[in-house]
Amino acid sequence: MTKRGTRAFFVASTLLSALVFVALTIDSHRKIPGLTNAAAIDASVIAGKNVWHRNNCINCHTLLGEGAYYAPDLTQIATQRGSAYLREFLKDPSRFYSEERDRRLMPTLGLSDADITALIAFLGWVSKIDTQGWPPRPILVKGSAVPGANVGGPAASPASSDPIELGRVAFNSTPPGCSACHSIAPGVNIVGPTLSGIAATASGRVREGAYHGQAKDAAGYIRESILDPNAHVLAGPTFSAGGRSLMPSDYGQTLKPEQVDQIVAYLLTLK
Amino acid sequence: MRYSSQRVAYAYFVVAMLLFGLQVAFGLLAVAKYLGPDPLLQLLPFDVVKAIHTNLLLVWLLTGFMGAAYYVVPEESRVELHSVRLAYVQLGLWTAMGVTAVVGYVLRWTAGNKLLEQPFPLKIVIVVVMLMFLYNIGMTIRAGGRLTTTEGVLVAGLASSALLYLPSLLEFDNYTVSIFYRWWTVHLWVEGVWEMIQGGILAYLLIRLSGVDREVLEKWLYVIVGLTFISGMLGTAHHYYWIGVPHYWLPLGGFFSALEPLSFLAMAMYAYYAMRRAGLSHPNHMAMHWTIGSAIFSALGAGILGLAHTWPAVNKWTHGTMITAMHAHMAFFGAYVMIVLGMITYALPGLTGRGEDSRETSAGFWAFWLQMAGMFGMTMAFAAAGITQTYLERILGIGYLETQLKLQVHFLMLAATGALFVAGVALYLWDFFFLAGRPVEAAPAERLAPAQPGA
Repeated sequence: MTKRGTRAFFVASTLLSALVFVALTIDSHRKIPGLTNAAAIDASVIAGKNVWHRNNCINCHTLLGEGAYYAPDLTQIATQRGSAYLREFLKDPSRFYSEERDRRLMPTLGLSDADITALIAFLGWVSKIDTQGWPPRPILVKGSAVPGANVGGPAASPASSDPIELGRVAFNSTPPGCSACHSIAPGVNIVGPTLSGIAATASGRVREGAYHGQAKDAAGYIRESILDPNAHVLAGPTFSAGGRSLMPSDYGQTLKPEQVDQIVAYLLTLK
Repeated sequence: MRYSSQRVAYAYFVVAMLLFGLQVAFGLLAVAKYLGPDPLLQLLPFDVVKAIHTNLLLVWLLTGFMGAAYYVVPEESRVELHSVRLAYVQLGLWTAMGVTAVVGYVLRWTAGNKLLEQPFPLKIVIVVVMLMFLYNIGMTIRAGGRLTTTEGVLVAGLASSALLYLPSLLEFDNYTVSIFYRWWTVHLWVEGVWEMIQGGILAYLLIRLSGVDREVLEKWLYVIVGLTFISGMLGTAHHYYWIGVPHYWLPLGGFFSALEPLSFLAMAMYAYYAMRRAGLSHPNHMAMHWTIGSAIFSALGAGILGLAHTWPAVNKWTHGTMITAMHAHMAFFGAYVMIVLGMITYALPGLTGRGEDSRETSAGFWAFWLQMAGMFGMTMAFAAAGITQTYLERILGIGYLETQLKLQVHFLMLAATGALFVAGVALYLWDFFFLAGRPVEAAPAERLAPAQPGA
């Protein structure tokens, strides 16, 4: 090949690649609004995006898997933790994690309440982007380090149509993200209390004098805890703040009734 | 050195080397934070250190590229630089921008967009500096009336870098759209037009160091750059897999980014071929080491290690883990750091008015081998950390924080090999600042010396 020939190769291949790239970019612009639920981008989400940038979050965390690798991925954090928890966390991360135990701690950013609300709205919007199935298995901030917790559990495909099996899979999926906060190993409180032996614990708790909820039995107690976490609030540094539970309180809307039934059925097997 | 205005490159290299030193110091600080606990948590948290570490890299590499262009272009176009004064003013403005950015990050003045953290006013300064540079180079080439392929590829790479920086000035409400265009700058820089710069400098150095016929080397340079764009442009898709874009970017990104190693392998073969033809006859052996080293190391770091996690079915599990840091460190070092150090090492004897054969110091060789060994070890440490993280966190589903605790031993390795690397950088700086001498005023005869025919 002559120099003229190789130059022609360079010019032609570059132009062709650029052409295809630009064409696909234009097509992506037509499809991105649908894939990202762009209609939901309101002033609050945009303000939250600005909070995200202003505080340089991307240089410790990843979002959609992009960023730095010094702190957990936040793509699904809004689903896994819920706004009540995130609000308390952002006010003072050292309440939830310790440098001595975890080796890492997020600095206290001193965000205003409005900033926090906006940031949570932004992260909530991100958690609903169609990411082509990424991550293939929920990325957890913490937990599952104890054998028997969630390790080895299949991600999303139930082995049978047994309600208990379906409930187990839902428990370990994000959304709803139950296993991101609750372990099923004895004594392991990730963020929320461990659900090890929850069936026995629940049937005991409904008979206690301190319990003022509506439930009469273990199944009722578990259902009530999922749909209305404030019906009976446990004290604990990462469980509640000011007498209010930090668990998301919208599972009544985000879960289908049969999903709640299945999760309850699964949790009742933990005796 | 044949033209006295080439001496402006020395000032660029001085700035580049100072920022390089600062960059690796911040790198060490970052790995210390991985080991934790962090006494500087509120004062200088990880995010600030990381932003400074990466931004200094981009700034000093660009400083080196521009210095290289100011050295290469007069020689290739056989004419003095259009304006030495403008080049110095440009360097002053550029350095002021860099320092302001770093101080700004410490004071939490940031745009918070990965690698493009420069606040908007500084982005404007960057654009102005790029325009000054391109004007100066453009006028020089015009005055010389001669544009070689080598300088053409180098300058086109720098001009395209300026052009591709422009999307970073835009803001989008949709986060997916904003990262879509962020990669137009970041990816198309490092896996596109910066490879043109690397290729241009490599061709220049090989022509000078090996004496192989320019026509042959420039012919193949076109092939290398052509391969770069075939694979690199649509290879951008490997950053698009999971960010909320249509599915067709997955197979597309898998296919084209799997081709990306080709241009790096071609560069390694290119350098090997030139050296085999000519033997190691050029007296500047240190420059030879860096040049060949760059071609080989970039084939490994950018080519092979990029390929290791670019396929969608693999990337699904490794995306956002230390695997990326493994690839990024060796790729940037091999492709861009080493080629700039090669250029500086080659140009230094001429810039300081010494004979080419007087530049062989044991400090210089130790600098080379310590950086080699250090970066190789760092890459291995990142790889071990990344593979472990992928298995524990992504496949078994163990929490991020527990997984990080299990990686501590790899972070210790990273700190140890990082220290080796920094020792190599310190020796390079020692050699550059204290052993190589300072620029001298050119003798009139030197200025009038004609360029070698065919060179």
